[in-house]
Amino acid sequence: MYEAGDLSRFAGRFMREWFRPRYELAEFFRQCFIIGYKSFPLVALTGFIMGLVLTMQLRPSLIRYGVESQLPAMVGIAIVREIGPVITALIFAGKIGSSIGAELGSMKVTEQIDAMEVSGTNPFKYLVVTRVAAATLMLPVLVMLGDAISLYGAYLGVNIRGNTSFHLFFTQVINNLAYGDVLPAFIKSFFFGFAVGIIGCYKGYYSQKGTEGVGRSANAAVVIASVMVFVIDLLAVQITDLLGLN
Amino acid sequence: MTNSKIDNVKLGVFVLAGLVVLIALLYLIGRNRNLFGSNFIIKCHFENAQGLMPGNNVRYAGIQAGTVRSVNLLNDTVIEVTMVIEKRMKTFIKKNAVASITTDGLMGNKMIAINPSGLPSGPVEEGDILAVKNTVQTDEMLEVLSHTNNDVALIASELKYTVRRINNSTALWAILNDETLPKNLQQSLANVRQASVQANQLVRDLERMVADTRSGKGMLGAMLTDTSLAQELHRSMEMISTAATNTASLSRELERMAADLRYQADSGHGAVHALFRDSSLVRKINNSLTNIEMGTRAFNENMEALRHNFLFRGYFRKQERKKKNQ
Repeated sequence: MYEAGDLSRFAGRFMREWFRPRYELAEFFRQCFIIGYKSFPLVALTGFIMGLVLTMQLRPSLIRYGVESQLPAMVGIAIVREIGPVITALIFAGKIGSSIGAELGSMKVTEQIDAMEVSGTNPFKYLVVTRVAAATLMLPVLVMLGDAISLYGAYLGVNIRGNTSFHLFFTQVINNLAYGDVLPAFIKSFFFGFAVGIIGCYKGYYSQKGTEGVGRSANAAVVIASVMVFVIDLLAVQITDLLGLN
Repeated sequence: MTNSKIDNVKLGVFVLAGLVVLIALLYLIGRNRNLFGSNFIIKCHFENAQGLMPGNNVRYAGIQAGTVRSVNLLNDTVIEVTMVIEKRMKTFIKKNAVASITTDGLMGNKMIAINPSGLPSGPVEEGDILAVKNTVQTDEMLEVLSHTNNDVALIASELKYTVRRINNSTALWAILNDETLPKNLQQSLANVRQASVQANQLVRDLERMVADTRSGKGMLGAMLTDTSLAQELHRSMEMISTAATNTASLSRELERMAADLRYQADSGHGAVHALFRDSSLVRKINNSLTNIEMGTRAFNENMEALRHNFLFRGYFRKQERKKKNQ
């Protein structure tokens, strides 16, 4: 409970520092490149595999019920609404949450953060705000690209045992999608990114007990961020349901 | 170009690619929902929306034409469905087109199918209300199926009873076990076949007779076709009619005469009464007849005696010779 309150205070401080000048744009773009661009290959690979596997797993069940023709529609909705954002966020939490936690933790235990304060640089703004903002803004981009690659994987999965044209596949996917499927998924991915970034930074920023604490911070960042992804997903489903977007 | 700038370019491309995917997805969904481009609105009124929702597809003759914008209750029995239709379909959808709520496939979403009526009409206009056709709903089908099931159960029950009766019928089984029955049946069939052959022959003969009659052959044909015979028959009939009239008149005369005779006999006047009722007259007449007979016999004796008289013998011989010559 203490940690939850401390994390909330940390997040509140992030909000204040985010809007307060001076802006560390160079560091922000550098973090965007590292967090977003460099995560893309991993997200693309996992997304492609997820689309392919999901299609191949769904096919026998749909054939049993005689609705094989609905396979593109079902895969499309599943990827855009749930699997794309959640799987990308989990991969993101594993890669970025751990790296932020380890990086800030090592800086903390080697007193580099204290040295930045002594030198007059705001370490929170330079280290935390840039990383959390980059994670918050890059994850939705990764989710969109991951969705596209995942749908391509699904198209290949459909054509392993079937014969569906690319045009027909995407027409069927688009015909069965609505704004209520895309926008909630897109919006919740901002929250996923924020959760991964803020938890990684929090765990690293308050890392203790030397190098052992760094590893523990990185591990805790991944575990807590992954759990938070599911908690946010649960809340998002409830909210979209209340708004009638399901 | 420094590494930092290259990284920024890569980041820009990466972010732009993500945004392009997002915008393309939103655009394609919006276009599919007819949110962009030129559209027009048409409506139709249903008694039952059957679960139709905003966003469901509208198809004209099986081609995607638009989407359902809203489903509103106008009153307790009328539901107004507003549809957004693509402008390019305007020339094809006629005012007398018929809309119905159907299902996309067996298990798909509800949709509105607009079909042409086949009659000439002008193109549909903005805000037009199309005629609707109520389709068979699943619950109605199940209700009919329930009735059919009951009927089938009843038929099966009665069939079971019938089969049981057949199984318990000794007479039927005796018939089925009778080995002579097939031969008898064959014989009967042969007889029937022969009878039918004879009947055919009879019919042919009758046809020939009718044909002959029509062509004027035979007496019946002559009667039917000869006009002079008909006139003669007519005349004969007239004569028969005249004779019948005379006969009737004669009959009346005879009746009157018989009545007079009966009157005379009953009243005691006239010759008839004397003839039938007066016994003394009858006796007198009998006596007179006896006297005449005796007189006649005496006359014959006289004539015989005269024949043997020499005065008249020549005359009688001459008469005998004349008879012989004749």
